[in-house]
Amino acid sequence: MTRYGIAIDLHRCIGCQTCTLACKMQNNVPEGMLWNRVITEGSDILDGSVGTYPQLTRTYVPIACQHCENPACQRVCPTGATYKDDKGRTQIDYDKCIGCRMCMAACPYNARSFNWEDPKRDPDINYGDKDVPVRPRGVAEKCTLCKELTDKGEEPMCVQCCPGMARTFGDLDDPASSVSEKVRQSSARVLLPEQGTRPQVHYYN
Amino acid sequence: MSDLLKRPAFIVLAVLALVGIGCWVYQLATGLAITGMSNANSWGLYIIMFMFFVGLSAGGLIVASSASVFHIERFKAVAMPAVILSTACICVAGMFVLVDLGSIQNIWRILAGPNFASPLLWDMCVIACYLIINILYLVFMSSKKEGAERKVAIISRFALPIAILVHSVTAWIFGLQIAKEGWYTAIMAPIFVASAMDSGLALLLCVLAGLNKSGRFKADKSLMSMLAGLLGTCIAVDAFFIGCELLTMAYPGAGGAEVLAIMAAGPVAPFFWFEIIGGLVVPFCILVFAKNRANIALVVTASALVVAGVFCKRVWLLLTAFAAPNLEGAPGIALGTFAAQEGGTAMWSVYGTYAPTFPEIMIAIGVVSVGAIIFWAIAQRLMLAKVPAAPVPAASQEGAATQAV
Repeated sequence: MTRYGIAIDLHRCIGCQTCTLACKMQNNVPEGMLWNRVITEGSDILDGSVGTYPQLTRTYVPIACQHCENPACQRVCPTGATYKDDKGRTQIDYDKCIGCRMCMAACPYNARSFNWEDPKRDPDINYGDKDVPVRPRGVAEKCTLCKELTDKGEEPMCVQCCPGMARTFGDLDDPASSVSEKVRQSSARVLLPEQGTRPQVHYYN
Repeated sequence: MSDLLKRPAFIVLAVLALVGIGCWVYQLATGLAITGMSNANSWGLYIIMFMFFVGLSAGGLIVASSASVFHIERFKAVAMPAVILSTACICVAGMFVLVDLGSIQNIWRILAGPNFASPLLWDMCVIACYLIINILYLVFMSSKKEGAERKVAIISRFALPIAILVHSVTAWIFGLQIAKEGWYTAIMAPIFVASAMDSGLALLLCVLAGLNKSGRFKADKSLMSMLAGLLGTCIAVDAFFIGCELLTMAYPGAGGAEVLAIMAAGPVAPFFWFEIIGGLVVPFCILVFAKNRANIALVVTASALVVAGVFCKRVWLLLTAFAAPNLEGAPGIALGTFAAQEGGTAMWSVYGTYAPTFPEIMIAIGVVSVGAIIFWAIAQRLMLAKVPAAPVPAASQEGAATQAV
């Protein structure tokens, strides 16, 4: 089995949001929505910090769909629109989505976006990859682990574009892959392990 | 039916229903962005009303079916209005799920490829069964053929467990979600059944009082006092379950205590405290005394408070879970609507806000009006016609309708 995943080196993340925008461009993500974002942990302002001067810390955490091995979103979807594909990625079949937003209530990571209105883009063209399907109004969407690229053997756009080279993509079921090696060597952690979702996105320092 | 059209209250309901349908068409044309919901707060008034009306539907059917199952002869007198009320309320609940869907045109996919792990699928199945049982119940009860009473007895044995199940399954939509600290609890289903019993019974008492006033239906005063006593017991059970839940949340001083702080002192605090004081403590203190239970005005006041309290319960139960995301920090959640983006960095909001918008409220009122019309129309056909013919002043009929709303 192939089980694609990503390992992210938080020490290499500089919070530049390049992955955020690379994802938005590649996946034709409309205005008001993001599939991927870099949060500043514990802070309520952009690029803020935690603590009092001079004892300050700032941690950037890139967040997108965690492609959980035990996905809460897939379990609750009444029509099976959300599914795990043969490469271990969590995907949405937009034709099957009835827009009930049960998945959004079930996802512990707020990884999903909903098309509350007709998608609007600036400039008003489909600027995404030509292979990425355009989502209609009234369906949920989220990171697909760049299905269209990774099916061709390429890396997801956020991995390709990261200037700090913080991201490693690969098959977690292949012990020889670089992503497995990173996870193994660095005692990587996952987000919200207490939720039991077993994410395929790992973080390490 | 035709004389209904001459009644002013009916015309008001019809207009409200039409306005609601108009707003719904507008929502279908432009999307759910016309509501106050966003990616941070992805469920709102519609799901609150759905939970509320599933609950209201219970009391009626539980009273009616326990009349047959447990041979409580006295309850049989009110079985008819109780089941009609239950039918109307479950229709309203079903309609609220439908107006909440973003892609209603894909709804056939539920039949084409159901995912049996989804509590939402269980709920749709069990609500469909529930509606069918309600309708069969009405058919058998109003039938004058031989053996109809036996059929009522048989169907009531199915109705009682299904009524309890429908509330449990609705609770599981929320109670099984580990992602939401405020929902994830085993006592969610018992709380839903208890609050369904008290709000449903309270609504039934209000409607019976209204029907009594209209003069066409006579619910015995001592029967109403008896039902009020049952209501008092249900309130106590509900309060006990809620108390257990709150204590379990508060005691470890961990995540649950943070959620509790949002409930008790956060944006949903007015709803929380109204429910605890106005929805549980005050009505219980009224109904615990036999003297008060004999006073219909007091019983109706307590009942109205219970219904309002359970509504507030639904509000805080739903919204508290969305108040604090599990992963906090800035830039937090992309809210998903353009309006949110107009404030520049507001798109990178840490938290979302929710308040129902005008069209959203009008749709909700419209759906409830349709429910009231359903109640009225069925009641007119099956119940009011049965009591022979004391002519009724039009004005007093309105009482029944407003109570039903």
